[in-house]
Amino acid sequence: MNCEEINLWLDTLLAEIEEIEVTRKSERRVRVDVPASSLPALLELLKGKASYVHLSAISCVDWPDDEEFELVYHCWSYEAKSLLSAHTRIPRNSAQEFAHYVSVYDIYKPAAFFERDIYEMYGIYFESSPYMEKFILTEWNGPPPMRKDFDAEQYVNDTFNWADYHPQWLQELEEDGGGIAVRPEDIRL
Amino acid sequence: MRPENYQLVALPNSDEYELFIGPNHPGIEGNYAFKLKLDGDRVISGKADAGYLHRGFEKLMEGRLWIQNLAIVPRICVPDPVPMEVVYSLTVEDIEKMEVPLRGQWIRVMQLELSRIASHLFTFGGHAATTGMYTPSYWGVADRDLALDLFEELTGGRVYHIYNIPGGVRRDIPNGFLDRLSDYLDYLETRQNDYDNLLFTNQVFVKRARNVGVINQEQALEWGVTGPNLRATGLAFDVRRDDPYLIYNELDFEIPTQTAGDCLARILVRRDELFQSVRILRQIIKHLPSVKGPVRAPIPNPLAWNVSMGESYCRVESSKGELAYYTVSDGGPKPYRVHVRGASSMHAVQVLENMAVGQRIEDIAQIMFSLDACPPEVDR
Amino acid sequence: MSKIGNIPVNAQAGKKRTNPLAGVFDELVQFCQSRSMFMLHYCTGCGAIELPPAMTSRFDMERLGIQPMVTPRQADILLVTGYVSVKTLKRVILTYEQMQSPKYVIGICSCTVNGGMYWQSYATAKVLNEYLPVDVYIAGCMPRPEAVIEGMRRLMRNIEEGKGHAWKDYFQRYDYYLGNQQHLFGDDWQTPTDIIGEARHYGLETEQTYGEHTRILEQHQQPLEPHKMRIKF
Repeated sequence: MNCEEINLWLDTLLAEIEEIEVTRKSERRVRVDVPASSLPALLELLKGKASYVHLSAISCVDWPDDEEFELVYHCWSYEAKSLLSAHTRIPRNSAQEFAHYVSVYDIYKPAAFFERDIYEMYGIYFESSPYMEKFILTEWNGPPPMRKDFDAEQYVNDTFNWADYHPQWLQELEEDGGGIAVRPEDIRL
Repeated sequence: MRPENYQLVALPNSDEYELFIGPNHPGIEGNYAFKLKLDGDRVISGKADAGYLHRGFEKLMEGRLWIQNLAIVPRICVPDPVPMEVVYSLTVEDIEKMEVPLRGQWIRVMQLELSRIASHLFTFGGHAATTGMYTPSYWGVADRDLALDLFEELTGGRVYHIYNIPGGVRRDIPNGFLDRLSDYLDYLETRQNDYDNLLFTNQVFVKRARNVGVINQEQALEWGVTGPNLRATGLAFDVRRDDPYLIYNELDFEIPTQTAGDCLARILVRRDELFQSVRILRQIIKHLPSVKGPVRAPIPNPLAWNVSMGESYCRVESSKGELAYYTVSDGGPKPYRVHVRGASSMHAVQVLENMAVGQRIEDIAQIMFSLDACPPEVDR
Repeated sequence: MSKIGNIPVNAQAGKKRTNPLAGVFDELVQFCQSRSMFMLHYCTGCGAIELPPAMTSRFDMERLGIQPMVTPRQADILLVTGYVSVKTLKRVILTYEQMQSPKYVIGICSCTVNGGMYWQSYATAKVLNEYLPVDVYIAGCMPRPEAVIEGMRRLMRNIEEGKGHAWKDYFQRYDYYLGNQQHLFGDDWQTPTDIIGEARHYGLETEQTYGEHTRILEQHQQPLEPHKMRIKF
């Protein structure tokens, strides 16, 4: 199959899935918005029938105002030479400890790494993903740090001390009425 | 530690034992750990342990201005920092629909290829050292240092350059830089024979590296291997050619491949790639003087720059493989979300774990270096 | 207690050294110590990338008598090359405590001084000096090989002049260091090394060796046990 055939085939495939929204951003970038329930089916079709065999990444975006997490699956086809980003949204479930979603490990093996990463950083539990344990943040006991409601700066100021730096030259300047005009904590934008 | 604190350890009733390689170990690349379960000297299973280099980059970037982030992105991969700056700039340009002037693009490609050369030279040395050959590592580091000198002249920094900004590069190249670059390429080509004799065709090394850590093309595709490691299994895929960015589609270069998929094939692909980079740089030296114009597009006041709303996923080919950033902007002064897909995030963890099974213990370090895993990309 | 150079020896309390050659011997020991140093470079961060150039042909650290060493038990210098994440800091402390005295710590890169450009990061420890006694800091992001070598020479000068005493501070003020470590790692933090016992052995214990934090350590301390197979495969 050449590129155009695959692209045509892709369009017919995508038409089969309900509530799907396809945007062609450029020659080699396709954006697809699907409801969370039909995403695994879409990926299955993409890999099995449209040659999108390479899962480049799974990105997660936190939207606390909408009470939602956005999951983006970036799939690459070596034959059609195009990158398809499948966007989906799942509820944030701030009342429960974890938001839940299904793993796509049985379709794409690389998903295991990204799902574990998202589980650690955002606290989204992927059912039937093989390694749902701590990997990078083994020494971390706090909330999932990448969530928008975790204030890293506050945490750092509460936990760590800073070294004093008040050398002779600065003291002399201050005696003459000078000094650091704007303190670092005031330069916030 | 005092002797009375030592205790005899009762051996378990089998030949199986555990061995922790790393985080502080000469046979491991950077601050990374690999835990092995062994039977004699055969590996039964292995488990990667990352996170020693975790700094929370993605969180840091959400707290800083778009322009400030340029200073921290190169730190994500220390041996090969230029692709990090470029791909971050590419995402911002993609969101802002900005056009980079042609001269800026050529200079960017020049840096990318020079950085690839530096990174590959470093890897040769590391890989050879794991087989007990230390001379290539001295050569590799010394030759890489000459590339760093060029970078220093171009950008002011030896290792971290922060030379690319959204819209192009900071300033034009210095006078006579291309001549010195050309001299360096001449020097590298005269060294080709030496490296071949010492390392790539040296039977001591070849016999040690052949048929070790084999991965076939099917497995490589299934596990998401990219970059030189994928090309060593026979698939000629390169983001530079198949998903071209900047001016790569105007350049003439080949994509070297090998079919064996073992440690030797991987290092040979890197060797060929290095000389392809030399070829690309020669074309740049020839063309760059005729490309006139500014080196960067005008950007608004960088300290009060609200990048417009949007999202972008950009990929480049770094020396380790496919490197991608997913950047989301909500129209504010800071990025809303930046996701870094490290080039070695696949082959430093899952691929290594799978490949280690059944190997001998002395080959584990070699396999890790031949995959060119970069731990900070995994941890971020 | 008296000292010959940096090597503490147990002498009976109140007994004075009478040998007039002792001072000469001190200087000789210091001179030799400063010129044969084995360094353990723990690649905690980016700074590690400038060490290969510093160690190999171009800048050649070996001409100063500094060589890399692979095991902490035989190393004199611990090089902390860059930011230390909390996970790494635990291993750095374990490594440091296994080294033989006299031992020296060099903090490379700005991140070990005061957090550097990762000051906002929830995962990195900021001031290395709170957890380990640091002899020399080499600031810069990242310091060039020349700067690394200059830092090494500073350490050598310090040792030669008999000023490299930071490692004693770890025994003398163990409570302070332990307190900071416990603050980060939790109250049940313990290492396999018996620092208080060693301090007593070397005759370096002071009032500040003990305190509330060492009492917490005693409460939680568990005897060392053989390592169990516990990796889940």
